[in-house]
This record gives sequence, structure tokens and C-alpha cells, in this order.
Amino acid sequence: MQSLDGVVTLVQEGRFLMQSDAGPYHVFILSHAAAAEPDQLAALQRDQARVRVRFKRGRDTIAMVAHQIERLPGRAASG
Amino acid sequence: MADGGLALSRRALDYPASDLSGVIPDEAELTAGVRIRAGHSYGFFTDTTLCIGCKACEVACKEWNNLPADHVGMTGDSYDNTGHLSANTWRHVALIERVADRPTEMRPFQSGWLMMSDVCKHCHNAPCLEACPTGALFKTEFDTVVVQQDICNGCGYCVAACPFGVVDLSADDGKAHKCTLCYDRLKGGLEPACAKSCPTDSISFGELPELHARAEKRLAKLHEIGVSSAYLYGMPDGPGATGGIGHLNAFFLLTETPETYNLPRAPTRPADRVAPSLAAGLATVAALAMTAFAVFARRT
Amino acid sequence: MPEAPSDTARRYDGTTYYGRPQLNQAPFENLVVGSYVFIAGLSGAAQMLATLAEICGVRHSAGLVRRGRYLALLAPVVGAPLLIYDLHTPQRFYNMLRIFRRTSPMSIGTWLLMGFSAASGAAAVCQAAADLFGWRWPRRFARAAQVPAAITGAGLATYTAGLLSATSTPLWAAAPRALAVRFGSSSIAAGAAALALAERRRGSPRIARDLDTIKLAALAAEFAAARASTATYRRKGISAAQTAIPAAVIETLGGQGLGVLVPFALHLAGRALVRRPASAASIATLIGSLCLRVGVMSAGDASARNPQDSLRLAQPEHLSGRG
Repeated sequence: MQSLDGVVTLVQEGRFLMQSDAGPYHVFILSHAAAAEPDQLAALQRDQARVRVRFKRGRDTIAMVAHQIERLPGRAASG
Repeated sequence: MADGGLALSRRALDYPASDLSGVIPDEAELTAGVRIRAGHSYGFFTDTTLCIGCKACEVACKEWNNLPADHVGMTGDSYDNTGHLSANTWRHVALIERVADRPTEMRPFQSGWLMMSDVCKHCHNAPCLEACPTGALFKTEFDTVVVQQDICNGCGYCVAACPFGVVDLSADDGKAHKCTLCYDRLKGGLEPACAKSCPTDSISFGELPELHARAEKRLAKLHEIGVSSAYLYGMPDGPGATGGIGHLNAFFLLTETPETYNLPRAPTRPADRVAPSLAAGLATVAALAMTAFAVFARRT
Repeated sequence: MPEAPSDTARRYDGTTYYGRPQLNQAPFENLVVGSYVFIAGLSGAAQMLATLAEICGVRHSAGLVRRGRYLALLAPVVGAPLLIYDLHTPQRFYNMLRIFRRTSPMSIGTWLLMGFSAASGAAAVCQAAADLFGWRWPRRFARAAQVPAAITGAGLATYTAGLLSATSTPLWAAAPRALAVRFGSSSIAAGAAALALAERRRGSPRIARDLDTIKLAALAAEFAAARASTATYRRKGISAAQTAIPAAVIETLGGQGLGVLVPFALHLAGRALVRRPASAASIATLIGSLCLRVGVMSAGDASARNPQDSLRLAQPEHLSGRG
């Protein structure tokens, strides 16, 4: 499984937008197999949290399917 | 909204800066002329005679709801490369490119092309909601139908129940998805993203009684100027809202048969088939039990 | 009330939107859910027949009653896991128990299965205690638990037709009553066939013959209802019922041919065909019952994918008739 670090900028239901450290934004969908629940994502957006996401490519979508989200220490540089 | 719209937007002068510090309170009042309050019915009136097929609604929906692109590819039969509503596509602009029907005289409006922005109908008696065994689907305080993602367990029964082919399961997260009529925006006093982005006001958002009145007025106007084929789809017990569905909170003004737009003319309410099915089934089992009783009784 | 102008109120002319489906097909795995429907029907019917034999006081029926109680465990032990497996977020299966909704056969079925599992479980445990330790007293409890088990079993044997009919899938929605009769009678036939099979191996041949009689009565009902539903599909223009490959083949050859005609032929022609015709007929009935469910489910999917089927069924002339 691939992994990507970045900042969660936006959350909608079980989907979130993450700006990866390299710069580009990616849409993630929380997998049904992930331990996290959609309502736990809201806090990540509120804090603009830095996370490490382990993911697979979505089926027939331009999105990543997040299987594991790990909160990293520190916050996004604001501004 | 042609008349009244300008007067209402006078409040917009209170917000002259292009860079706002936060959300404008009751912003929908400025953009759609309606104040959003819990306990009232809201919906969409989609006037297909105004649609230009620009797909701004599709894009706005995907942007606001953070929905990924899906089914990427070309259909090869029209400018409609979206195809259909799905778990990740909650607005779909249908384009009916009637090339065989080249007009030789000036039409009252438009060419032979038909365009319609399709969406979840937010039925009054919503079959998806009535089918949901977990209570994940519910009626919100704005009289819209929403799937609660923290409850849905992906049984998929709502998908089969929907008479319009709207609800869909996502293979990625294993849950049912459909248009929420921007539930989060409504709670914040904002007009839904698709309606706000629509450049021709083909999609108008508002309170249902007001939308109905607006639609009737538009229909009368169209009939007056010679578009005799125009009719409303989804009005109480009219086409699209038959068989106990009641009415559609998202209703349409169409100029061709419903089938042309891939809409059912007279959908039914699946829940009405529960009682006949159970009664017939139990009667069968009871009759066969009596048969068994009669057969066994000979051996006592 | 707004009315469609006359030219839009004409008969459906077969128009579709580039031939694309108008509906989404049910996201069920047909073999999995079809097997559940088969197992639920078999368990419910076996419990019912065993209870009836017990109530009637059929002589030498202790074996039949015992096997009926054990067969009923198939629904909770195999059926329920199949249902959970088919969920797309299976770890949340317990959300089914949050509410009861009478408009949703899936909710009705969840509670029927729960009730049936509890009562049948209790009956089977008491039966096992009596069998293992030779105690007499658990038998009374088994008898008491078996009555609610048989009643919920009747529901379990037939609600699955409602589960399919209370959707917008054309083939399932077009003939709800006929489908319920087919599923209900197929369940009874499968229950009787399974019990007869066991009875022939180690029980009373007379009881086995009685079970065969019940099975044939059920198969006759199923066949009549299948004819009725075919006529309804033809009238309402559900072409998938005849043309969907392999669904229609599974349903016709497997469900009706193997499940109904072959058992009748075996019982009539007897030993001219096979060495143990009655047992062969029971096995054919069981396989046919499974084929009926899987066939109907996949034919339904085909009808949902066919826009002409769904748009034709959604015409005003079909609004009043639900049968």
C-alpha cells in the first residue's frame, strides 16, 4: 500500500482533500475497511492536521482510497 | 428570478468587499431570494428550457462536496460524457442532440437540442428512505432526503428501491451516496452549490410553494409564446410523482416525453407492494400448511 | 394539477436515453443473496413442517421433528453470515437492529430472522440436551419454543419475495403476488424435500411419502404461479424475463425444469428412470429451489439494466394493477 503525507484541508462526509507535502491536492475516500469513521475526519479539517495516509487507488474514480490515517505531530504552516 | 431579485439583492450592498471575513448571514437571501429556515420545504425547480448544458452545476457540486471524478471517458454519443448520476456524481446534465430533427423554421426558443440537469428528486414519500433498514436515510428539517454516512452499512436496498436510478453505492467506501441538497450549506443559510452556480437560472432553489408558483407562471408563459409541449414533471400526483410518491421536491419543466430524458413517466412507490406480497406469500404458506396438516392427519 | 399535453401522453414508443439504463441495478451478489433466500425458505419450512407433524401427533415422527429443529439452524448459522457478507460495510451489520420499518421488507426480514433464530435456537438446544443426555424435560421447552419458530418460519419462507418486489427493479416489481406464491411454495417444497431425503435414509418411509405429497402440492402451486407471472411479464413488457442470458435459462431450466417438472416426472415414472427416484426428486427440488432464486435475482438485474423494461413498466396504465 502506498503512503502520502500532507495536510487535510477539507472534509465532506467520508471524503477529504489533502494537500500533499509535494504540493498537489488529492481527493481521498475513507475505505469501509479503515478503522476511522467519517465523523472523526471533521476534527482533522478543523485543525488543518498533518497526516500520513496509507491508500490504494480508487476503482473507476480519480481518488485515493484511504485505509489508514495517522496524525503527524505539528500543524500546517498557516498563511 | 427576473422580478423581485434586484430588490432583494440590495442587501448585498452591505457586503461591498471582495474579500469577506466569513460567511454572509442568510446568504441565500441574496443569491436566491429565500431565507432558509428549519421546518420549511425546500427544493429545486429545474427549467430545462433555460439549460444551456454548460455543466457548471456538475462542477460546482463536485467542488463543494469534494466528490472525485468517476467513469472517466467518452460516451461517444453526445456531449454528455457524465452518463448518469452515481455515488460520486450528484448532478448530471443530459444532452439530447436531436440531429434528425433539424428545424427549418424559427422555433420559439432553442434549437432541436434538449438539455436537462438531472438530480436526486428528494421525493415526498421517498422510496429509498422507506426501504432503508438502518435509518441511515432520513428526512431533514428542510424536507430533503439525506444518507447519514455514519449509519449506512451499505446493504444497497435503497439503490434498488429508487425509481429514478439516483442512489448508488460507492465501491470505494461501501456506502450509499446521493445528492444531499447541500444539507451543510442549507444549515449555514447558503443556497445549494448547483443552483448558485447556474448561469441561466435553469436550476432555481427555493421554498416549495414558491417554486410551484414560479413554475406554473413559467409554464403559462411558455404556453403563451407557443411552446405547447412544455409541462411540469414532479408536481403533486402529476407525471413523475404518481403511485403514492406524492410530489418531487426537485421537479422539472420538460418539453419532450419523460422517457426522452431517461425519466419514468409514472413511477410507483415500492412500499405499496409490501402488503400484497406478504399477504400472497403467507396465504400460500398457510394453504400448504393446511395441506400438510391434512396429509399428516391421516397418520395419527 | 398540471397535465402532460396530449402528445406527451401518448403510448410509450420505446424511446430511451441513448439506450442507457434508467435504473441502478440492485448491488446484491446473486449467488450469495440467492443462497440466503433459499436457506431461509428451507429452514423456515422445515421448522413449520416439523411443528405441524408434532401438533398432529404423527406416529414415529420423533426423527422428523428432531431433524426439522436442527435444519432450522441453517438460517441463523449459514443464512445470517451470508447476509452480512453481502453488506458493503459488513462491520456495521448491527445498524439493522437500530429500527423497525414496516415499509422495508429488509427491516421486516431482519426482525423475522432474529425472532426465528432465537426461537429455533432455543428449540434446537433443548432438542440437543434431550438427544445427548436422554433427558425428557427439555422436550417440553423445545415444543414451546417451536411454535413461535414455526410462525416466524412461515414469514421467513416468503418475505424474501417482498424483499425483491418492494424495489423498482422491473421484473421483481411487475408481479409481486405471483412472485410471493412462487417463493413461498418453493420454500415449502425445499423444506419437505430436505426432510424427506433424511427420512428415507434413516426414518419412516411412510412419513417420507407424506412429505413427498406435500412437496408435490407445493411444486404444483409454484408451477401455476410461474405461469401466471410469465403472463404478467408478457403483458407488462418485461422482456428480460425471456431474453436475459443466463438468468432466464437458470430460472426456466433450473427453477422450473429441474425444480418442478423433473420431480413430477421422477415420482410418476419411478424406477424406470433412476434407482432411487424419490431421493433423486428431492435433490432436484432442492437444486431447483436455489436456481429459482438465483435466476429470478439475476433476471431482475437484467431488467433493471434494460431501459425499455423499466420505462415501459412505469407507464400510467400499470399504476393501478399491482398483481
